[in-house]
Amino acid sequence: MDDGPARRLLHNVKGMVFSAVLARLPAALGYRIACRRADSLFRCQDEKRTEIAHNLQLVLGNELSPAAVQEATRDWFRLASCDAVDVERLRYGTRPLRRLVEIRGREHLEAALAAGKGAILCTGHFGSHGSGFSVLHASGFPVTSIGRWHHKYLPGLSSAERRFWDLYLGPLRRHRQRPNIEPRPGRPEVAALAASVLRANEVVTIAIDAPPLDSDRARAVQVPFLGHRAGLLPGAVALAQVTGAPLLMSFMYRAADYRHQVLEISAPIPVEGKTATVFERCAAEMSAAIRRSPAHWEFWAKTRDLAVLGLVPAQGDSSPAAGPVLPPPGRSPNDGSKDGVPARGRPVPAARSKRLRLPRA
Amino acid sequence: METVINDYISRELVQDPALLPLADDISLLESGILDSLSLLRLVVFLEERFGVTMGDADLLPENFASVNTICAYLRAREPGKQQAPRG
Repeated sequence: MDDGPARRLLHNVKGMVFSAVLARLPAALGYRIACRRADSLFRCQDEKRTEIAHNLQLVLGNELSPAAVQEATRDWFRLASCDAVDVERLRYGTRPLRRLVEIRGREHLEAALAAGKGAILCTGHFGSHGSGFSVLHASGFPVTSIGRWHHKYLPGLSSAERRFWDLYLGPLRRHRQRPNIEPRPGRPEVAALAASVLRANEVVTIAIDAPPLDSDRARAVQVPFLGHRAGLLPGAVALAQVTGAPLLMSFMYRAADYRHQVLEISAPIPVEGKTATVFERCAAEMSAAIRRSPAHWEFWAKTRDLAVLGLVPAQGDSSPAAGPVLPPPGRSPNDGSKDGVPARGRPVPAARSKRLRLPRA
Repeated sequence: METVINDYISRELVQDPALLPLADDISLLESGILDSLSLLRLVVFLEERFGVTMGDADLLPENFASVNTICAYLRAREPGKQQAPRG
């Protein structure tokens, strides 16, 4: 199957344009169409659907029935499609998205900042987290994110693709207090830069579930995660311990109507004690969030990342996720899979979502 | 100054005993002594010990390349030796 840069780019541009159009529609209609499109992709993209379901089974196999795996897989496609609409809504300012996002636990964040040492918000590649932090920033909390924009570093992407992703992710970059702090080899000043953000009594966000780079693997700690042991970097906890900044967890959940969302912020997590022990608490919170709504986790479609974390067996480079895995916001609108073989049989029945049900606005 | 900084790095940041005693000109980055978090610890120590405040623009790898360059950087920041801000 030809998966060259030009074809991939065309595919992604089509996805972005489609999401941009949906973002201009009334929310109820836009997100409903996004779900319809996701259902179509779910039926058509055999390879990706199989990969996600397989990974769900491998990692959470004992906890999910085969029907629940199918349901979570279908929902994964829907959430990815809706996340892309979120990003496009941010292109027109934060107001269109702010109306759809409820921030719960902002009192925890306010109390944390009242101490004057900033606050660290830990999250994962979970839900529309990038857009959620844009909304948080727009609601008065100065937010700066620590994280890599993958499209800058992935080998195999053409310069046109990199420009495309720069353009696509523009709205997320725009609604931040400072430029992203990007950890990468040869850049040891990252933690000190984060500390200077905290010193200004601002908010730093970190995704704690990122697979460590080869150069960072020695610093990873093995912690219980989704019923397995995963190698994760405890930098967020170490940063909190050195700077004295409170550490809070945050997760962005999409409601059953697919357009409303909740950004949940926890009370501070006690950080006294050994770094690895404290980090286990953060990983446990992350695990609980994923178990609560597996479809929200982006990595089910990234087998190679799951393998680096130690959650699934490592595969050769021929695995579906071993090619250029296109970057988040949480998820790319379309990662270039284009196996156009229609699924056989009837579509999976509509999800009976266990996700949050919000009061209608 | 060199002794104070060398002592702190040797005591708190060096993980590999083979690197001790620490030479003042050894590369702290290439030898793996300084990573992101240990650099942060070092910055906090320098700020507290020498009463300086380091901004984002000061966090250049070349300022922390070795004990000698850290001392040169701190001496350049002593009153009367600071460069005029640009612009």
